[in-house]
Amino acid sequence: MRVSTNQMFDTVVSTLQRQSSSLLHTQQQVATGRRMVTPSDDPVAAARALEVSQSAQINSQYGANQANARETLGMVESRLGAVGDVLQYVRTRAVEAGNAILSDTDRRAIATDLRAQFDELMALANSQDGSGQYLFAGYQSANKPFAGGPDGTVSYSGDDGRRALQVSSSRQLPVSDSGSDLFMRIRSGNGSFEATAAAANSGGGIIDPGSVTDPGALTGNDYSVRFSVAGGVTTYTVVNETTSATVVPATAYDPGAAIAFDGVSVSVRGAPANGDRFDIEPSSSRSVFESLSRLITAVETPGGGARLANDLGNALGNLDQAQENVLRVRAGTGSRQLEIDALAGIGEDLNVQYSAALSRLQDLDYAEAVSRLTRDQTALEASQKAFMRVSGLSLFNYL
Amino acid sequence: MGMGILNIGISGLHAAQAGLQTASHNIANAATPGYSRQEVVQGSNTPLSISGGFLGQGTHVATVKRVYSDFLDRQVMSADSRAAELEVFAGELAQIDNLLADPEAGLSPAMQEFFKGVQELAANPSSLPARQALMSASETLSARFHDLSGQIGGVRAGINTQIVASVEGVNTYTAQIANLNERIHLAEAAGTHAANDLRDQRDQLLADLNKEIGINTSLQSDGSLNVYVGNGQALVVGTQAFSLSTATSSGDPEQLDVAVVTPSGAAVTLKPEMITGGKLGGLLAFRADSLDTAQNALGRIAAAVGETVNAQHRLGQDLLGNLGGDFFRPVPAPRIYGSEGNSGAATLSAAITDVGSLTTSDYRLSFDGASYSLLRLSDDTVTDLGAFAAPVTVDGFSLTRGGAAAAGDSFLIQPTRGAALEFGVAISDVRQLAVAMPLRTGAGPSNNGTAGISPGVVTSTTGLPLAASPAGDITLSFDAANSRFNITGGPGGTLAYNPATEAAGKEFTLPTAGGFTFSITGTPADGDTFVIARNTAGSGDNRNALALGQLQTRQTLDGGTASYQSAYAQLVSEVGNKARQTEVNLTAQQSLAQQATAAQQSISGVNLDEEAASLMRYQQAYQASARVMEVASRLFDELLGLGR
Repeated sequence: MRVSTNQMFDTVVSTLQRQSSSLLHTQQQVATGRRMVTPSDDPVAAARALEVSQSAQINSQYGANQANARETLGMVESRLGAVGDVLQYVRTRAVEAGNAILSDTDRRAIATDLRAQFDELMALANSQDGSGQYLFAGYQSANKPFAGGPDGTVSYSGDDGRRALQVSSSRQLPVSDSGSDLFMRIRSGNGSFEATAAAANSGGGIIDPGSVTDPGALTGNDYSVRFSVAGGVTTYTVVNETTSATVVPATAYDPGAAIAFDGVSVSVRGAPANGDRFDIEPSSSRSVFESLSRLITAVETPGGGARLANDLGNALGNLDQAQENVLRVRAGTGSRQLEIDALAGIGEDLNVQYSAALSRLQDLDYAEAVSRLTRDQTALEASQKAFMRVSGLSLFNYL
Repeated sequence: MGMGILNIGISGLHAAQAGLQTASHNIANAATPGYSRQEVVQGSNTPLSISGGFLGQGTHVATVKRVYSDFLDRQVMSADSRAAELEVFAGELAQIDNLLADPEAGLSPAMQEFFKGVQELAANPSSLPARQALMSASETLSARFHDLSGQIGGVRAGINTQIVASVEGVNTYTAQIANLNERIHLAEAAGTHAANDLRDQRDQLLADLNKEIGINTSLQSDGSLNVYVGNGQALVVGTQAFSLSTATSSGDPEQLDVAVVTPSGAAVTLKPEMITGGKLGGLLAFRADSLDTAQNALGRIAAAVGETVNAQHRLGQDLLGNLGGDFFRPVPAPRIYGSEGNSGAATLSAAITDVGSLTTSDYRLSFDGASYSLLRLSDDTVTDLGAFAAPVTVDGFSLTRGGAAAAGDSFLIQPTRGAALEFGVAISDVRQLAVAMPLRTGAGPSNNGTAGISPGVVTSTTGLPLAASPAGDITLSFDAANSRFNITGGPGGTLAYNPATEAAGKEFTLPTAGGFTFSITGTPADGDTFVIARNTAGSGDNRNALALGQLQTRQTLDGGTASYQSAYAQLVSEVGNKARQTEVNLTAQQSLAQQATAAQQSISGVNLDEEAASLMRYQQAYQASARVMEVASRLFDELLGLGR
């Protein structure tokens, strides 16, 4: 085939250009460490890399949220621990106050201590986090939720809101607990019903908190256990105060024996006087503050005996309910902390996977690239040398 | 006798001289673009008849022809034209490809930063620094949308400039071709010989013109050449050239169209499909195929982010206790451009109704005198709108017509073109970030049952009971005997709830009171209450921030099949694929063009070695002919010497 001189030059130039551009591309790859210099190098991988990088970013955001949640839950947990300690201490003091050898003065000393504990409990209920937000105020975290004191009622001005954080794609984890749930809505008595001695009782009968023997038989009505003493024989009758029906007809009193009716079982010990009565009412909601302030009143009221024993027994029951409530919330907090740990583990695994996927999609295989670079370079040099040789050939050199 | 030899010598001398001159001409033009090598066609003279036979009478130069193949030339031209088109296309597309590729400058990091801000705010709902951080991230996101859209707009402006330059090139070439037509006609009219160099020049001009715009040619018997574009629009007819001009597109003021100027001076717009091949073809194809789609796709993401974030934000409550407003500036209405030739009185307005259904296409509404039809430009789907009396909704936007159109009127509708450029943050005060929800729920203080109420979700604020607490509280009290909640306050009425079968959780929406949805689980005791109240002072509430955060992964685009990021990834992949495909085609086309050129050059190109050989050959012929004349002269001398 005829070859024109021009074409020899043109062909060489375009070949050199192609080789240079390939060399430049490889060099850019090596310089950036990326396999794809532009999306057109591998459009599918480029799009996939965008999606994976978003997933990776979201995953690390969940990680940050988990850390935030862990911090907040830790703060709540430590406050709950302190609340539990206070309640435990109060309980010990209440038991001490029941000691029959104590005088009114001794009990007043205990009451003073209890008042201090009340203040501490209030302070804990009004705890703030690092940025001055109230921990137990629900959504209204800027406002102090609890107000009042042992001689009045303590009111809660927060709400039931619980702040949650997105800790995984499908889980919004509550990180706060509302004050109403923790301190206010506590079941009184034994959780089902509350047994109290009437204020006018003159005998030495002391009622225990009782228990539920058959939850299905509970009616939710008010009952009274009425004692009468006639001729040295003590008998009692149980009346349903709501319906005025007599549930248990007059029965001989056996101290400490169970008095059972409608799924309820209580026992009275000591010697009730004629006309004494004990009331059994369904549990209602009683704040820990009210229970504590009732305890303080009971301890401060002069005189011991059955009145004190009944009041203390009642207060202890309520404190146990409060303690149990704190434990319940605390258990929830703990299980959420465990959940975060589990999620964090999953998150780290995912992170490794995403990094691996991204690296596979984007990163350059240096060994391959460098060898390609060398190859391209060699080819370019060879082309240049060949061109120099060929371009030197001309018949005119011999004319 | 002597005279005959002398004449033969002279004829050989002339022929050799012509050969030398042609070889020199070839050597001199070896590097001239478009030059075809020339050859001397030599023939022997008519012999003299004598009694013993014929006596040769020397030689003559029949013609000087250019060595040329029309077929190969056309192949080179068509390959070059396509290569030029692809080269421009690939070059322009690479700009967008590079723009989207940059891991720091793309949309993706700004979007992620924004949602990171939302999540941080959810963790610290009342923190002003966290709010400020989200505001900054929003500004960054908005700036990134502007940057990207602006850079694509810059590419569009660059295309306009290139179209102007290319049209100027076309006009120069066509004028020169017309001029050469005339000169070739004159030169060739005198005799039967082809005007080789003039024809080469014209062919070269055609090749150059063809790189600007794909053309067809037809050679006339008088040697002139007519040039056409598309299906028959003449650019050169004989000695007359028709020039092209540029004009702002009647359908879209942002771009230039190419028009041809008729002899009467009127400019007739060439439809884009008339212009294929060459730089102009590449520019127009790129603008329609890739640039519009890329800018629309970006706009669609901006519209989706703006609209969905706004919708969720408006359901929330800000730090000042007010309902949330727009987070981002409202999505701009679709752009509508009436064609310049519209003669009717019709006006058109459009609004985006559902960002999830938007496409990345532009639309053209046209009226044929009887009914209106809407053409989706990306896939040529036609929707017949009939009389189009009432507003219609197509692909996520609504169209409303006022006035009557005349037959042939048309409008261009660009639903998402401007959305990225006009994206902006509407909130100015960080306290206006609606992180909370306007309502909250709570259980009554003395509930005895085990039932609980969920925090609830606001889905619409229309008619939502927003009176301040406690006066505006809505109380649900359980009526065990009738298995229902009696509602006090708000809309009143009852909600049926049977703890025996529904204790696992039942979802309620308050009747006739906007969209507030909550669920109740467990078993309430008779008389237990739940309260739905205005979330006054709810600065610790982050429910709306959580809902905003979930938008990041929600499938909000493309009929609920794509999240923001996957829509962006789709754009990147589309541009990347197109760029790759164009590069592959370009490489193939370039090698095709190279092969065609090689074939053409192997016929017409000058080989200097060959010319060196020719020089030697003709030099020797010249010397030999001179020697012949010397012999003739000597013979003559011999004759003269006889008489001495």
